[in-house]
Amino acid sequence: MPVQFDLERLRETIEHAAHLLPAQGPITAFVHHNTLHAFEDLPFKEAVVKGADTFGCHPYLPEERYRQKLSRGRILPEDVEAVLMEELEDQGDDLLGFFGTRFQLRMAMLAHPLRTGTANELRWIIAETDALTTVREEVPSNLRDQLLAGTTRWIMRDFRNGQARNQKGQRIRASLDPLFELFDKQNIESWSEATWESFSLHALWIACRDGAMQCAVQSKSHRTYTRHRDLLLAKTGSDTDDLVHDVLIRLTAAFLDQGFADWTLPSREAGLYQAFLRLYSDHAGVTDRWTRGLATEARRLIEAGISPLESIDESLQMLGVEEGQEQVFIADTLLALRGYAGMIWQLETRGDRAARQIPPGSLVEFLAVRLILDRTALGYVAREEFDFTGALNTLLPQLRAQENKGTTTSVDQRAFEVFQLAQVVGWLPEHLFRLSADEWTQLFEEIDAFPSLERRCIYHLAFERRYRIQALDAVANHCRRIASGDTAQSPNKATRPSMQVITCIDDREESFRRHLEEVEPACETFGAAGFFAIAMYYRGAADAHFTPLCPVSIKPQQYVVEKTVYSFAKAGQQRRNRRRIIGTVTRHGHNSSRTFAGGWLAALLGSLASVPLVMRIVFPRTTTQLQKFFGDFVLPPVLTNLHLERTQAEPGPEPDQVGYSVTEMAAIVERVLRDIGLTQNLSRMIVLCGHGSSSLNNPHESAYNCGACAGARGGPNARAFAQMANDPRVRELVVANGIPLPDDSVFVGAYHNTCDDSVEFYDLDRLPTTHSSDFEQASDAIQTARGRNAHERCRRFYSAPLSLTDQDALKHVEGRANDLSQARPEYNHATNALCFVGQREWSRNLFLDRRAFLQSYDPAQDDADHSILTRVLQAAIPVCAGINLEYYFSCVDPVGWGAGNKLPHNIAALLGVMDGASSDLRPGLYRQMIEIHEPMRLLFVIETTPAVLLNIMAANEGMDRLVRGSWVQVATVEPESGTIMLFQSGEFVPYYPSTNPLPIRTTSLDWYRGWRDHLGFASISADAVSNDEPVVQHLRKGH
Amino acid sequence: MEVTWEIFVLGLVVIASPLALVAVLGTTALIGKPLSESKTQNWTYATTIIGLIAALAILAMMLADDKRYIPIELGNWVAIPDQHFHFSLKFVFDRLSVPFVILSYVLCGTIGAFTSRYLHREPGYLRFYVCYSFFVLGMIVSSLAGTIEVLFLGWELVGLSSALLVAFFHDRKSPVRNGLRVWSVYRVSDAAFLVAAVALHHLTGGGDFGGLMGIGSWPDGIATLTSEQAMFVGLLLLVAAAGKSALVPFSGWLPRAMEGPTPSSAIFYGALSVHLGAFLLLRISPILELSLILSVTVVAIGLVTAIFASVAARVQTDIKSALAYASLTQVGIIVAEIGLGLRYIALIHIIGHACLRTLQLLRAPTLLHDYQVLENAIGQQDATPTAAGGHWTPTWLRERVYRFASERGHLDSLIDSYVVYPIRRVLLQCDAWERAWTDFLSGTQSRESDAVPVHDDVVEELRL
Repeated sequence: MPVQFDLERLRETIEHAAHLLPAQGPITAFVHHNTLHAFEDLPFKEAVVKGADTFGCHPYLPEERYRQKLSRGRILPEDVEAVLMEELEDQGDDLLGFFGTRFQLRMAMLAHPLRTGTANELRWIIAETDALTTVREEVPSNLRDQLLAGTTRWIMRDFRNGQARNQKGQRIRASLDPLFELFDKQNIESWSEATWESFSLHALWIACRDGAMQCAVQSKSHRTYTRHRDLLLAKTGSDTDDLVHDVLIRLTAAFLDQGFADWTLPSREAGLYQAFLRLYSDHAGVTDRWTRGLATEARRLIEAGISPLESIDESLQMLGVEEGQEQVFIADTLLALRGYAGMIWQLETRGDRAARQIPPGSLVEFLAVRLILDRTALGYVAREEFDFTGALNTLLPQLRAQENKGTTTSVDQRAFEVFQLAQVVGWLPEHLFRLSADEWTQLFEEIDAFPSLERRCIYHLAFERRYRIQALDAVANHCRRIASGDTAQSPNKATRPSMQVITCIDDREESFRRHLEEVEPACETFGAAGFFAIAMYYRGAADAHFTPLCPVSIKPQQYVVEKTVYSFAKAGQQRRNRRRIIGTVTRHGHNSSRTFAGGWLAALLGSLASVPLVMRIVFPRTTTQLQKFFGDFVLPPVLTNLHLERTQAEPGPEPDQVGYSVTEMAAIVERVLRDIGLTQNLSRMIVLCGHGSSSLNNPHESAYNCGACAGARGGPNARAFAQMANDPRVRELVVANGIPLPDDSVFVGAYHNTCDDSVEFYDLDRLPTTHSSDFEQASDAIQTARGRNAHERCRRFYSAPLSLTDQDALKHVEGRANDLSQARPEYNHATNALCFVGQREWSRNLFLDRRAFLQSYDPAQDDADHSILTRVLQAAIPVCAGINLEYYFSCVDPVGWGAGNKLPHNIAALLGVMDGASSDLRPGLYRQMIEIHEPMRLLFVIETTPAVLLNIMAANEGMDRLVRGSWVQVATVEPESGTIMLFQSGEFVPYYPSTNPLPIRTTSLDWYRGWRDHLGFASISADAVSNDEPVVQHLRKGH
Repeated sequence: MEVTWEIFVLGLVVIASPLALVAVLGTTALIGKPLSESKTQNWTYATTIIGLIAALAILAMMLADDKRYIPIELGNWVAIPDQHFHFSLKFVFDRLSVPFVILSYVLCGTIGAFTSRYLHREPGYLRFYVCYSFFVLGMIVSSLAGTIEVLFLGWELVGLSSALLVAFFHDRKSPVRNGLRVWSVYRVSDAAFLVAAVALHHLTGGGDFGGLMGIGSWPDGIATLTSEQAMFVGLLLLVAAAGKSALVPFSGWLPRAMEGPTPSSAIFYGALSVHLGAFLLLRISPILELSLILSVTVVAIGLVTAIFASVAARVQTDIKSALAYASLTQVGIIVAEIGLGLRYIALIHIIGHACLRTLQLLRAPTLLHDYQVLENAIGQQDATPTAAGGHWTPTWLRERVYRFASERGHLDSLIDSYVVYPIRRVLLQCDAWERAWTDFLSGTQSRESDAVPVHDDVVEELRL
């Protein structure tokens, strides 16, 4: 039957369009994604343009921002030249007659802002501003003098005196004559310089307009509107989406609600479409004018038993969507409320992440409802605005016919571009007047071929290039110093390190590790993905549910439970009961304060609320300390342990299925140690440090947690790993597999809170007494390092004075974490730009400014198939690229791709945030989170050879796509020889680093002290004499 | 009544400190030398704390001397003896105004401290504080007002600054639209207020509450109007209060007002602004007593609002709307209490409710965190939500109730369809006539603005 075939195709079309929707799931488990995942199979540069077009967002920062970077030295002129040269390939040297080469023309267009506006705006600028009386301020004085002198000479020679010899001359005369009337022609010889300046500019403007009128270039047509709403909006200024979204947002939020509202949507179980029809089939009370007729329509659909797909088909026909257009139409219609549509699709396809699930096919139902509302609203607005009474399917052709076609670039707009350009390049009116129509056409074609979008692209590449060069030079330089034995900082391989610390690869741990190494030079640090190869469902002693602690791509098999130790079991039970009572009371209080009678009672006692209100806001840190003090009566006893060992064969959530077998544990321990290359010279004290973050007033809290734990806190993973690695049976197996694990090596789990910079240790009661002093030494070093880390972080917070001590800095960050009014508890991954995969010794003591993910990997320990590097990169590249690209897009367009401003955010349906009272759900990152970020693609520096990497890429399609599509930048490094190979246009090419020495400082503090903005690379060397590199001085001075 | 100079000075300080803040923030911004964040913050703290201390001192002196009524007169500005008209600037410290002033200072001060960090590095930082200072001034002036004109002055300042703060994020469409909506409703209520003020003058020859209430200070005053006069003035003031406090049928604006930064929503729509209508009713409560019909109307409107809002609150899926309706429920109850003559209870209720709701709104962004904590404490997710109206109701009724709540009682539709739409139609018709007439006179299309497209073309920066 043909109808069914059509419906099936319709479903496929909808599902295809669904891939364009934001991929962010419920905000309580925030996972960073490439915002443009839908276009990942395209190269980056094409994808951003296509994405920008599809979503109506910016692909790069505004030109102005790049120009600021240029003036601050974050982009150098040579970068722009190099990138432009590369982009133009061999066309750069093409001569464009009078205008010089194409390269020169484009450089001129890049050098200074080319302002433009709507035709009316330009007319205003010409008439009302000093555009025609004063030369642009960017113009160098010699060019200004040249313009004045040249014009004066020309006017005095050819117009003041002398006759027009030919037709062209007469034409020029005819255009200039009206101009003389504006100026005092009689006294031309005594004109002041200002008068000549004004006259020259007027002449130049006339010349440009004259040229623009001769030009035959047709400008590119705009994107055509596919939705009726867009055309209707352009014609009447009435937005049907305002009407439709008002209803649709309320309805969809009620349908998706995860348990906030007291009353659930009636007939929710029957699906969105049925619930909508039933709710709106009733002629209830007074309805909005535009929804009159909706009830009748809903009844008809119910009575005829029309399915959602049939209804969509019907709506498309009613709306007169043309054959072949339905794909674009459906995509654009879904994207009009993309946040909610995306959330429906996420819950539909990844329902395991939600407390309340929704039936499959909900997106189709959503579209069906939306189209019913759309056509109701369209009919209403068309009727109200221009008495449209015809069938709805004739609306689109009618609107198209009346569409304002006057969007082509006007003569004024064209002329104004050349006018600005002429001033900075030094084209004189005389020359411009002499150009032929063909030459003008050529000029405008060239200008059109290099629009703002292209200019921003060039700037962006130049910006990335500058950082890449700085980073690779720093790496080469640093490696050279180390290889030549110029630094005595790293612990000698022959002696045993005092301790070893393994943290997550997270960029926020970079500074923590660096400070730790500075505090305790005899220690070693390592970076591994923060779930430490333990993919588990975990339930803490005070938790209600199991949480998956592993990357989203993995579905855990094993379960782990935290229990109060046996001797405290009774106390634990008591406290759990207290917690439950307090929780239940609070919950009831919370809910009933919003009801009639409960609220009355609550409000009468409400004056008491002023105490926590004032305390929380005026003394956030003290309040938290007080709260902790009282919390001790209800929190689970400190002494707990992990139920980690399984007695049954199969893992599961039941008590005797919980945990791992000894062999599984051994495999995990071995894997992590091999991944990070810690297979020899193990110290007596090995600390594993998971991380997370806690903050108040932050719906996006989970985005600040460990990315390798799917937006949860990674402490339990570190604890579990330490417990596994301390188990003698496990160690026996590990040793048997060839890792010489000394008997006196003890593992300790820890948790680093990246927001308040606290570090807490697990299971210290199990620490052998022989290791007390080792632990104390390690603990002291970590205490000092976290203070220094907090201090380095504070340089980025404008509300933290630069004069803080380490202790004040710790207090400051603790205050931030507990402050209800703090919109920036920490800066999370902002500024991330680098990822090192290799041995720490090559990046150790290199100041990376918290911008680098650091994954430890030792190529010497890898096998012939490079299986270690493969599995390390399989995790690192997609995860780090996902974080980096989400930051990129949220930063280049915080409103379009990001979540906008945090201040009016409003939590909806416990799933996401809206702006203010009612808006679409806002996926992405909010503005306060990315404000210090510098959008650039992540640069991977991997300690391996190109051949190995190409092999690995060939075997891993996903990785290959990201690397070849330039979604990430990749370089390989062989530190001993200092060879760096950079992946560019599909192949590895050698990179030749500069030999300028890196600045050297004795501590990190010496380098970052007193500075808020971005900082360059530096070597940290306790015994070296500081040098100061001229380039860096220039950079520091630049502000 | 004699007022000692100490009290007079303290009273002046209470009123002058927000005025000083307005002057400092406003003038520096006007002359193009806006204050830095930290200076703005310090001025805010200083003026609030000074004002609060002065208010507390007055409270202490009143308690010590057992005074119930302290007028601060700042001159008789207009006096037309023939018409028995006079306009005096007069403030009153009594048992109603002092608690209200202290509440305003405490909550505004807290919000001021909150915002100084919350809006850190926000482009509209100073703009927020300018609106905020006007708001504080408005609250203090209306709380202390001794005449109806002074109350109107404060009332207007509060209304203006509230509407501007709803539209704080003016680069987006919906805050501006909702701000305008709030403003429009306020205009209606202001108009009623103004008419009531004129009527009061006409009836009593002055706007003094003291004269109006005859002998005795609040809450024991006895009004000097007749029952009919009281009903007329009272109903007008009730309309004014209903608009300001979002009572039925004006309730639609309250959830829409949640567009500004979270702290401004908290202070205005959770705490102070929304109670101002109730405060007005409290202030004129002696008038309410005079007319039974009036009292019944006040109770009825209060109860209807409370019931409506508590039903609507149950279906809201976002935290701010839910809190807006929760707030409205209590405001409705407070108004009913006032109608019943329970003045002290209403006052305690206002103060408690304002504190509670401010805290809840400020914590709103922490909702997910708090739910997680509670869920862990209880050990399971909260009980499954109930169907609208309970399980025992028939489906059709449930759907109706749900629809009613979800459409927010159809109140906005009601106003839009039966007030806004007809007025707009009439105006458009007049416009069409005028156009036809001018076209006829000029013999051509007479309006240049017709030719301007609604949306001008896209600028280069956005063109792809």
